[in-house]
Amino acid sequence: MPALHYLNNRYKEVEELTVFLQQIINGLSIGSVYALMAVGYSLVYSILNFSNFAHGGVIMIGAYIGYFSLTLLKVPFYIAFIISSLGTGFLAVAMEKAVYRPLRKRNAPFLYFIISAMGASIFLENIVIASPIGPTFRTYPPIFSTTPIMLGPIALGRIDLLMFVISAISLGSLVYIIEKTKIGLAIRATSYSIKGSTLMGVNVDKVIFIIFLLGGILAGIAGMLFGMKYTVYPQIGNITTKSFIAAVFGGLGSLPGAVFGSILLGIIETMTSGYLSSQYRDLIAFALLIFVLVVKPTGLMGKSTEDKA
Amino acid sequence: MSVLSLKHVTKKFGGLTAVGDVSFDIEENEIFGLIGPNGAGKTTIFNCITAIYTITEGEIFFNDKKLEKLKPFEIANIGITRTFQNIRLFKNLSTYDNVLTACHKSADYGVLSSIIRIGKFKKQERELNDKTAELLKLMGLWEYRDMVASNLPYGLQRKLEIARALALNPKMLLLDEPAAGMNPEETLQLMELIRQIRDKFNLTVLIIEHHMDLIMGVCDRIFVLNFGVPLAQGTPIEIQGDKRVVEAYLGKQEDHNAEG
Amino acid sequence: MSWVYFSGILIMSGINLLTVLGLSLLTGFTGLFSFGHAGFMAIGAYISATMTMKMGIPFIPALMIGGFAAMLSGLLIGKLTLNLKGDYFCIATLGFGEAIRLILDNIKYFGGARGLPNIPPYTTLTNVVVINIVAIIVLVFIIKSRHGRNMVAIREEEMASQVIGIDVFKYKMMSLAISALYAGVAGGLLAHYLGYIQPIMFKMVKSTELTIIVIFGGLGSVSGSVIGALLLTFLPEVLRSFYEWRLVVYGAAVILIMITRPQGLMGGKEFSFKGISKIIKRFRNKNKDDGEVKS
Repeated sequence: MPALHYLNNRYKEVEELTVFLQQIINGLSIGSVYALMAVGYSLVYSILNFSNFAHGGVIMIGAYIGYFSLTLLKVPFYIAFIISSLGTGFLAVAMEKAVYRPLRKRNAPFLYFIISAMGASIFLENIVIASPIGPTFRTYPPIFSTTPIMLGPIALGRIDLLMFVISAISLGSLVYIIEKTKIGLAIRATSYSIKGSTLMGVNVDKVIFIIFLLGGILAGIAGMLFGMKYTVYPQIGNITTKSFIAAVFGGLGSLPGAVFGSILLGIIETMTSGYLSSQYRDLIAFALLIFVLVVKPTGLMGKSTEDKA
Repeated sequence: MSVLSLKHVTKKFGGLTAVGDVSFDIEENEIFGLIGPNGAGKTTIFNCITAIYTITEGEIFFNDKKLEKLKPFEIANIGITRTFQNIRLFKNLSTYDNVLTACHKSADYGVLSSIIRIGKFKKQERELNDKTAELLKLMGLWEYRDMVASNLPYGLQRKLEIARALALNPKMLLLDEPAAGMNPEETLQLMELIRQIRDKFNLTVLIIEHHMDLIMGVCDRIFVLNFGVPLAQGTPIEIQGDKRVVEAYLGKQEDHNAEG
Repeated sequence: MSWVYFSGILIMSGINLLTVLGLSLLTGFTGLFSFGHAGFMAIGAYISATMTMKMGIPFIPALMIGGFAAMLSGLLIGKLTLNLKGDYFCIATLGFGEAIRLILDNIKYFGGARGLPNIPPYTTLTNVVVINIVAIIVLVFIIKSRHGRNMVAIREEEMASQVIGIDVFKYKMMSLAISALYAGVAGGLLAHYLGYIQPIMFKMVKSTELTIIVIFGGLGSVSGSVIGALLLTFLPEVLRSFYEWRLVVYGAAVILIMITRPQGLMGGKEFSFKGISKIIKRFRNKNKDDGEVKS
């Protein structure tokens, strides 16, 4: 009977729409974590024109600190967050002081920075593996119930919701700091010209300290969120490859670009996983990279800089 | 026919106009000076000519050939070379290797030939080495040939940069503050050297400088830039007498008198 | 230690060395950093294994085909990224290395995650040594020519190299192509030595270990790479307890090297008899001075 057909089709449409929206929501939540990672990376890049490839290691440490805070110290959830982000903030700053600053002070070529970043990343990853912590996968203790919050027919996983909210708050705070505070002004000035801002009286070392600190804090939060949603293992740092790609997609050096690119990547990934197959999910990031490089290398919102002679 | 011709060249960085509507022509074998207070846009013009920057408006011609679409290395290959304000030598290479590397265009053997090493390779390598020796001796750098470039005294580093630029058999040489950091005696020697190489290699030279004795002493004509905009152009005598130029460099005459 | 075991380590050193030689040209001499050379090895390994097993092509041609396949993929990456700032190339190699591994995990023709088994064991110590000797000679000849000098110039001062007429893009591509070729051939040798290959052998860790060898030996030194490859393949084998901590040590060592002695072991110079006699002379003179002071 035609009426039945019609109802059937309508039902299918609504179901498809629901699935579609569900994917978007999932994509937003993982995308927001990518955004936290990508912004931490872009922050350093926009000022020092240097890709901190050790960022992944810091994120991984954040995941572990959070894990041990919850399991060993048995502190409440939000305290674990604070411990984790402070820990990674400290780590990032320590890395800057011990590794990058000496290179910066002697005007080392770009290549040396990348090599050192790689060294730091390997060091972090493997010291965890070789230590008593070991390479075993660990799961966070369940903090929230796994029953999702229902928004009509769409299921919002509590963790996903949390990821999105925390990321949004963190990024919002970062934006506030950069746009509305004095130190943020110094950061913005330094991102245009290190020499120029020095002449204006900006303490560049302090600015660099701050951005590494901020980047480190974001990394800690990202690490914990990632660990909560998935598992904790020493190679978590490799996920940052995706956030680097997201940063390129959004435009290297642009913070809003990093956020935008990450969210888009998250959504595209979940769509691919949902509609095609989960095997292609990890490859999508790479396909996206090729697409960006061929079509518009400066990304969606990137700034192109010309070197001065 | 002019060798280098800038027509209404403008370079903007976002909202900032670094160079605005600059036009001049340089004749063959001229030594042409480009002066102006710091930040006037002189090095920017160099960067525009050598395609390190892309110009926002205008055209640049080299012997009637348009330069805007070329890449920096192509510009070097059609005969324009330069030195840099903050010396960009190959710091960790020896003096000899700095010049030898720059001679590469005088050979054309391919990668395969360098592996198999028959035919052109040996002959051309010998030629490159001869040429390097000749240039070094001419510039008075032969005895320093094995010294690492960054260990050379400052004045010799600048000379080495010039030697390196000459290795390309250029038709035109752009010198960016070649006398920076030199004492008066060295500056005089440099003036002589510039005249010598202009004659010997049949060059046209464009110089940016702050040492007024060098500029006035060696240039045929001078172009004055102030805040990216043309201020005056003429022979050294004309420029020295030009009130606007004096003002730009020394401040307004009235204020001077008021304070004195 | 049996000869089989010892020669096995030698073969592995030789395979590592071949890739390291190519990487040395790219990173040590041209100044480009690759995170993904294991990917080129993987391409060489799989393609050459497929050639020998499924197409009946003899060993050496199969190696070359694998090498060329790797070279082509290198040229592709280069075309997309070498015209842009350095970071793009790094990120692209990072993605490339991982992508190759993931793709191979999913292609049934290549055995998926299980990989390709039963690869004929054509690799012998002899052909590894011979190939390496040829590779070293070719590399040294390229370096000691205007092409090699141009690459070094790019590493030293890219802008100045442009200005003296070096086609920077072309030379970066050349350097990448050769390094990919070497890595591809090395991958083929690996496949035919182990007898089986799996995508998991070509993880990013492998890429970074190779770069570490180049750094350890010294950027810009071929002999440094040779010594580094031998040392850093033997050491973890011989000191088993070291094996677990080796990456920790490498990571810290790399940072230390970059901060204190970036020229690495060989100081960017090559091993030569002249160099040794200089060191001996200096040592002798020092002793002579001490003797004179005493008397």
